[in-house]
Amino acid sequence: MSHGPNSRRRVVVTGWGMVTPLGKNAEDTFQNAMKGKSGVDQLTSFDPTGLPCTIGGQVKDQWLAEFEAGKDLRTNKFSSRALRLMRAASHEALLRAQLDTSSFGGRMGVALGSHGDNPTVDRMAFLQRHMGPDGTWDLKGLDGAGGYPFLSFFQRKPDVGAITLAALFHCKGPTLSVSSACAAGAQAIGEAAFLIGEGSCDLMLAGGAEATLDFVGLAGFCLLRALVEKYATPQTASRPFDRRRNGFVMSEGAGALVLEELEHARSRGAHILGEILGYGSAADAYRITDTHPKGLGALYAMRAALKDACLAPQDVQYINAHGTSTQQNDLTETIAIKECFGRQSFEIPVSSNKSMLGHTIAAAGAIECVLTLMGMERSVILPTINYEHPDSKCDLDYVPNEMRRVDHRIALSNSFGFGGQNACLCLGSFEA
Amino acid sequence: MKNEFITDERIFQELKKAIAETLRLDEDAIRLESSLVNDLDAESLDFLDINYRLEQVFGIKMARHFVLEHVEEMFGEGSAVNEDGLLTEKAVTLLKIRFGDQIPNLEAGMDMDEVPAMITIGSLVEGIRDILDALPEKCTHCGASGWTSEDGLRVKCASCGEHAVYPNGDDLIQEWLKKIQEERSIF
Repeated sequence: MSHGPNSRRRVVVTGWGMVTPLGKNAEDTFQNAMKGKSGVDQLTSFDPTGLPCTIGGQVKDQWLAEFEAGKDLRTNKFSSRALRLMRAASHEALLRAQLDTSSFGGRMGVALGSHGDNPTVDRMAFLQRHMGPDGTWDLKGLDGAGGYPFLSFFQRKPDVGAITLAALFHCKGPTLSVSSACAAGAQAIGEAAFLIGEGSCDLMLAGGAEATLDFVGLAGFCLLRALVEKYATPQTASRPFDRRRNGFVMSEGAGALVLEELEHARSRGAHILGEILGYGSAADAYRITDTHPKGLGALYAMRAALKDACLAPQDVQYINAHGTSTQQNDLTETIAIKECFGRQSFEIPVSSNKSMLGHTIAAAGAIECVLTLMGMERSVILPTINYEHPDSKCDLDYVPNEMRRVDHRIALSNSFGFGGQNACLCLGSFEA
Repeated sequence: MKNEFITDERIFQELKKAIAETLRLDEDAIRLESSLVNDLDAESLDFLDINYRLEQVFGIKMARHFVLEHVEEMFGEGSAVNEDGLLTEKAVTLLKIRFGDQIPNLEAGMDMDEVPAMITIGSLVEGIRDILDALPEKCTHCGASGWTSEDGLRVKCASCGEHAVYPNGDDLIQEWLKKIQEERSIF
């Protein structure tokens, strides 16, 4: 049995898949990201007229339709759009891993970062029509009008994603539902790696999914003033670390990985795509809507991931930043990186995939984990696009606008969620 | 009163449509003798989903509780199912009266959880028929007698135009149980 320096079993990546605003699979997404393309545009998923932000990163409906054609869609009625995207990403990951998941019984589990759908305006309005001014329900009228669509109950529940994937792909091992905002995807992967590392199972389908480009989803973040409001074009709105950044762009997508215990992967002759070297998670424990001014939670998460991997800061050759394009995040993330890496922080390329993808919330950690591993595999560091106006307080090497060809073997991928829930994955190219 | 406006064929047709949509199946795969659970792989929530769809189509209220649950409520615990969850002789007698040949392999001592799996499309058609045939003599809105239907699905009062209000499925089962008990004294 192979154990890492942290004495846990080693966990490798043998499959990945994604559906993003930049592509219907991992390869298309990576190719478009290499070219520095933006997946952000005017929203068509609903009419956002009147909201201060009317743009987002949408997945093309046609991609989802292509994937679902000919599939058994019985679970769709329980499924949020996020879960349907996740099914597509998972399917790709399992194909790449060449896994027949039905043969592993309880040795394969599922960990999913997701949140469930918001109630839609239509449905709230429908309910409202059957409530009198005194607050009493006209249940008979509601019933006569078709009753509340009860299946939406499942689409809203954040735990339904993981169990549905487990049922679809016959994974009878542990299921884990992670709802920690922007950290969810990375946490799902980190916790899944722990489950394999400690021997609870040998394989995990892990990742994150999000699709809430609807009125309720957008309005909430607009009220918080978290979304971008000033931009020349949708494509240039997400500008992490740029002085003129003024909010994030909300996007949808899903990212999936097959995580596998090293010997298990070897014994079946799997192609190993990378390794989860370490994982750290920490809370700001500060305020709900502000990040800690010194990025303490982010710092603790990065340090914890390095410690878990038994690596020193000088071993890190690339940082896939959380980089949301909000004033606060990009500043505090920069401060935390500088605190963690000291003088060396100016030597490490730091880039944000969100400059191109927007922020896929619960999916972000998973998508960015895969893009980081793909970059390592191809010796490519993806750029931070729309970087035009340097910010004197954000003074790291953000890989501005053009991808870079650099061999690198060890990287961190940061995911820092609203409310100060922080996760960091330490990733490596596979070395026997 | 016998509902002359809606044919058994129409009920089957609408049932097939509801099941096909719920289970994402081809309508051709659904036959009168198919079991929802064993042949069509329905899960418990699918029953609710199908019921909701049918309620909208016909303007009825399907029973929420299976006949055995009503027996236990009306005639006391243990009357239909013993403490190990197995069907009593009396329950089998009753189910045979109610479902006839629709549920062929019933026997005492069988696990009650196996019964829903035996429900066929045919028995569902009969369940809907029972509700539709409980069409009241007179309109509950205006009191007039005389019904009409334009689409063979929803029945309206020929006088005031309001939709017919049927008794709900659970009440009908209880009425039926009372009648059977009076006639045969099973419990």
